[in-house]
Amino acid sequence: MSMFSSFTRELRFFLKQPAAIVLVLVAISLSVFSVWSGLSEVERQQETIERLLVADAKDRAAVLAKESDYGGAAYYSFHLTYDPPSRLAFAALGERDTSPWKHRIRMLALEAQIYESDTANAELAQSGQFDFAFVLSILMPVFLIILLHDLRASERAAGRHDLLVATSASDNNLWRSRAFVRVILLSIGVLIPFLFGAMVSGASLLSIVSVLGIAIAQILFWSFLCLWASARSYAGPTIASGLLAVWMLTTFVVPAMSDAFIEAIIPAPEGGDIILTQRESVNDAWDLPKEATMETFVKEHPEWAEYAEINRPFEWKWYYAFQQVGDQSVADMSEKRRAAILKRDKAAQWFAFLSPSSLTERSLTGVAGTDAKAAMHYQQHVRNFHGSLREYYYPLLFKGAAYEAITLANLPRFKALSDRK
Amino acid sequence: MSNIVVEARNLSVMRGQTPVLSDINFEVRKGEVFALLGGNGAGKSTTLHTFLGLLPPQSGEAILFGKAVHSDVASVRSKVAYLPEAATLYGHLTAIENIEYFLSLAGIKKSSNEIVQALDRVSLQKEAHNQNMERYSKGMRQKTAIALALLRETPVLFLDEPTSGLDPVAIDEFNQLITSLAAAGTTIVMVTHDVYGACQVAHRIALLRRGALVGSFEADEGGKIDTETVHAAFAERAAS
Repeated sequence: MSMFSSFTRELRFFLKQPAAIVLVLVAISLSVFSVWSGLSEVERQQETIERLLVADAKDRAAVLAKESDYGGAAYYSFHLTYDPPSRLAFAALGERDTSPWKHRIRMLALEAQIYESDTANAELAQSGQFDFAFVLSILMPVFLIILLHDLRASERAAGRHDLLVATSASDNNLWRSRAFVRVILLSIGVLIPFLFGAMVSGASLLSIVSVLGIAIAQILFWSFLCLWASARSYAGPTIASGLLAVWMLTTFVVPAMSDAFIEAIIPAPEGGDIILTQRESVNDAWDLPKEATMETFVKEHPEWAEYAEINRPFEWKWYYAFQQVGDQSVADMSEKRRAAILKRDKAAQWFAFLSPSSLTERSLTGVAGTDAKAAMHYQQHVRNFHGSLREYYYPLLFKGAAYEAITLANLPRFKALSDRK
Repeated sequence: MSNIVVEARNLSVMRGQTPVLSDINFEVRKGEVFALLGGNGAGKSTTLHTFLGLLPPQSGEAILFGKAVHSDVASVRSKVAYLPEAATLYGHLTAIENIEYFLSLAGIKKSSNEIVQALDRVSLQKEAHNQNMERYSKGMRQKTAIALALLRETPVLFLDEPTSGLDPVAIDEFNQLITSLAAAGTTIVMVTHDVYGACQVAHRIALLRRGALVGSFEADEGGKIDTETVHAAFAERAAS
């Protein structure tokens, strides 16, 4: 008997099973909702960026129009920095719901400005977004377990198993075809909304194929596990309990334990500590002799040594120097934090091989450019931009250039890493 | 060429660690109705399951058409139709849909007309043909399963308590059906604890007790086996 005729037979059979159809429809609905939810979130983020870009330019122009010196211009003008969502971000929002993807910075000490946003989204961090990655990595295994665990056990319980096997030209073919139909219908139902979302979003063919590859790997893993379990001579509920225990263990327990373990063995300075340390350094500078601040500053930036003398009670160059000294005071902490986050991420990647759900989610966020690496990349981009502001203003401030509004037309403009990846 | 179709040769079977069949031997010829009689747990269904390749023999051989069943299970199954005890077909399908599905499993295609004729042959009411089987009585389900077995047109029929759930009229009709199939050359092995029913249709009867054959009877020249003799032997030797 050909595979095709077995497939059509089992397809017709499946289409007469209301409970199984309802389950597949639920899976499709959740997938549609997740894609819609992802697209809406990405659209919201994109709209926010576009709205802020207009407001940012308008606000800066208004501020600069009022200023009469470069120090005031640097102090009062904010600059929007942002990381636009990739075209695949709708499928896996990843770090974008917990790590900041936009900042409003000015030429003060930077590190506190970067980490200030770390605690802004704590509630979202707990529940996470209902995106396609969630459906594929967390829910898909449950649907497969429900559809496949009792392929044989239900027939044994109903007293049909022996008749089916004795009648079938090949009993392996029977179970394979039956499982194949269920897996194919479920997979198509879950993946089509993603493909629709990817087309709407304009994702590249390569990224779509990558996501499909990840999805197929996840589906195959759980399908084979379910088929292996369903071939055991246990009752359906026993098989289902076993599979759900594996799902719970690999999806929740292993990632939670590995996260705790990784955090314990790879300590990282907290963003809050960096903020506090930097603020203390900046605040203390008001009470320190100006020479002491300038000496520390010049040590790191000898090119300004000949302009480091402070003669008046308040000078902008002194003010920005102690801001930079503030950054210098936490440079080591910040560097350690970034290195630790990358190290943790690497360790988490290894532990993910013990958790197919985590591996799926991490792979999706990797393809979508919404993982920890992408967040760190954006942070570094912000640092670079902030550096370019300092490079622009320092000659004007330290050399005491006469204020000319026209000079600020050449103010560095933030440029996102890419419009939409 | 030998006309032995079904043969148990020193057949022993275990279920887990428990011996269920111990060194049994019998032969069934083409067109013969062979009944294995025994009480509960005698090993009747195990015998059929072994011949269907559902259980492996521990020793000895279950042979069909001269070939050990376990050497080529798929080929053997294509020659055998099996009617399980209390056949449960799919409740969410009609009798016709169930038969179509099970026939397609065996790679057999029959027209709706042929299926209806088979259902008529087992006297399933016309109005029930297109009803979902969840509304069927046990007897109606059994008739549908018998129709399925008939439609497979295999040279061998294995029947496990085939008249279970049938009313007396249906049992008579079933017995006539078995007799006519055997006359047409179908080899039939039935396992039952119904002494009377077995004597009505069988050419030979073997008594099975705790996995061992403990007696056998052959039909006389008139083609009948004396019910009282078998009943007495059953009560004495085979009832558990």
